[in-house]
Amino acid sequence: MRFFRALLPFLLCLPLAAGAQPTFDAPPERSTDGGFTLAWEADAPVVLEQASGPDHANARILYEGGDTSTVISGLPDGDYRFRLRAADADAEQWADQATVTVKHHSLARAFGFFAVGAVVFLVLIGAILRGRPRS
Amino acid sequence: MTGLDDPILPTSIAWGLLAAFSVLWVVLGWWLGRHNKTAEDHMLAGRNVGLALATATAMATWVTANTTMTAPQLALQLGVWGMLGYSLGALGLILFAPLARRIRELMPAGFTSGDFIRLRYGKFTWRVFLVVSLIYAFGWLVSMAMAGGVLINALAGIDYRVGMTVILTVCVLYTLLGGLRAVIGTDFIQTVIIIAGAAFIAWLTIDKVGFEAIHFNLMEERPELLNLLFPAAIMFLFNNLLFGVGEIFHSNVWWSRAFAFGRNVGFRAYLFGGLLWLPIPIVAGFIALATPALGINVPAADMVGPLVAAEVLGLTGAIVVFIVVFAALASSLDSLLAATSDLVTRDIYRGHIRPHASEQHQFRATKVIVVLLGLVTWLAASYRGELPIVGSLAELLYFTGAFVASAIWPIVAGLYWQRANPQGAAWSMILGSGIGLASYFLIGFYVAALVGAAVSLAVMVLSTWLMPRPFDWGRLARPDGEVPA
Repeated sequence: MRFFRALLPFLLCLPLAAGAQPTFDAPPERSTDGGFTLAWEADAPVVLEQASGPDHANARILYEGGDTSTVISGLPDGDYRFRLRAADADAEQWADQATVTVKHHSLARAFGFFAVGAVVFLVLIGAILRGRPRS
Repeated sequence: MTGLDDPILPTSIAWGLLAAFSVLWVVLGWWLGRHNKTAEDHMLAGRNVGLALATATAMATWVTANTTMTAPQLALQLGVWGMLGYSLGALGLILFAPLARRIRELMPAGFTSGDFIRLRYGKFTWRVFLVVSLIYAFGWLVSMAMAGGVLINALAGIDYRVGMTVILTVCVLYTLLGGLRAVIGTDFIQTVIIIAGAAFIAWLTIDKVGFEAIHFNLMEERPELLNLLFPAAIMFLFNNLLFGVGEIFHSNVWWSRAFAFGRNVGFRAYLFGGLLWLPIPIVAGFIALATPALGINVPAADMVGPLVAAEVLGLTGAIVVFIVVFAALASSLDSLLAATSDLVTRDIYRGHIRPHASEQHQFRATKVIVVLLGLVTWLAASYRGELPIVGSLAELLYFTGAFVASAIWPIVAGLYWQRANPQGAAWSMILGSGIGLASYFLIGFYVAALVGAAVSLAVMVLSTWLMPRPFDWGRLARPDGEVPA
């Protein structure tokens, strides 16, 4: 019994310590349209940083505050690295990181769909402009 | 940086606005619909709506949660093309103008789009059409209820489910009280609010942030949004156009108006409505491009419009956005509730459950169905973000794109091709929806409607060419006429 009493303060601290560390919530691995949503679990405000280099050398703060997700869009092809820490933690104490690869659809594929759409639209205009039932 | 943790509209003001506009719409609904005596009054406003009200209701109904909230979302995700592509949805209204005239000529006593499909193609195709139509109507209803909750949450920090419940309840109440007459009357007032409010917000955004700052920050942080060769956005252009065409051509929201507008009114009303609508998504969507310049965090893509407006314009902006989007949501939710309840009443209750239901029975059934639709919508919208396809507004909306775009050709061929094949019409919807959905999951939300429409066209043309089935147009003039096998 005395053993459990002695252990109690540590046990009470455990969930707090675990909850204080923000973590990404199922970050995507790749994107074909240069956009995605990054979500995280955190009990307190966080700092989210983005970098396009492997060593986070050119990192910039993307968000600082109490939200638990952010929408990213308009990125060109490349590997993007994100890292997360509690806002009150030391500047280099990063709790979690994620990498997302952006690889856009090819232009050939994009214009292929564009051409199919254009054909369907032109046929539609033709069918309506005739304006009379076919006999 | 700011975000959701800093709601701009004080809760007390948000509740005050919500209460004031709720009372206004419900009282107007009751007042406008107080003379409704029959199902025809309730469903089709006496079939004699004039040009001004008709144009306003066409335009206001098409300015929806989709326009005021999804247009900024698409600008944020797909850039300049996303915004411009969204405005191509106006072609749906414009191209429906000649169809509305033909529908009125062919079916002077018609009630629903389901009536047309049943008489033109027979029961099998009719049932396939009802499934397609109800999936779309339900998706649209849920997306708008979600938009209501997101709006109130983004601006005032009021719990998403509470806001969504209030907006949905108000729309159910006044649709219940006034029917289509109330829907069209409130749409007129809502149109004025939407146009004035959207123009005010866009002007102030440009004035406060400036084009140079917007352009510079986009190039720094989100350069693809300005790239005219952005692949996903190029794929999206015709997808959105065909989605809009599919939505309007098949949905009873627009057919019920074609039946309700006075003689020779439909063509001009849809044409003017489309032209008036064209700039709205550009004005509403543009403000999302100011996100990097303002350093706003956007926690969910569908929140971007209200967040930017509130950030740029402060309390006044938040109030204007609140009123505009509430008006846009109400003008569409009520239309869809009314039109979907008509479809369920005529085509499911009367068509499948009680074929000999009297006028009074149908009148009562319409009201019960409005309430049931509201309840089911509330249940689904409560699970925003928890169900796979009920993720964001755009994802949910474009999921339904595969279904509606596959219905374009059965409608067009049914109205204009005398030899359109009924089995071909059913299979064009089944295959178009199926392959369109596959492309939604395999490629992206921005191609589902395009693929659905292309497959549907191929099936419709091939089946009509290989197995033509001549049709007597006169049969459409008799709503309860002989149904082909």
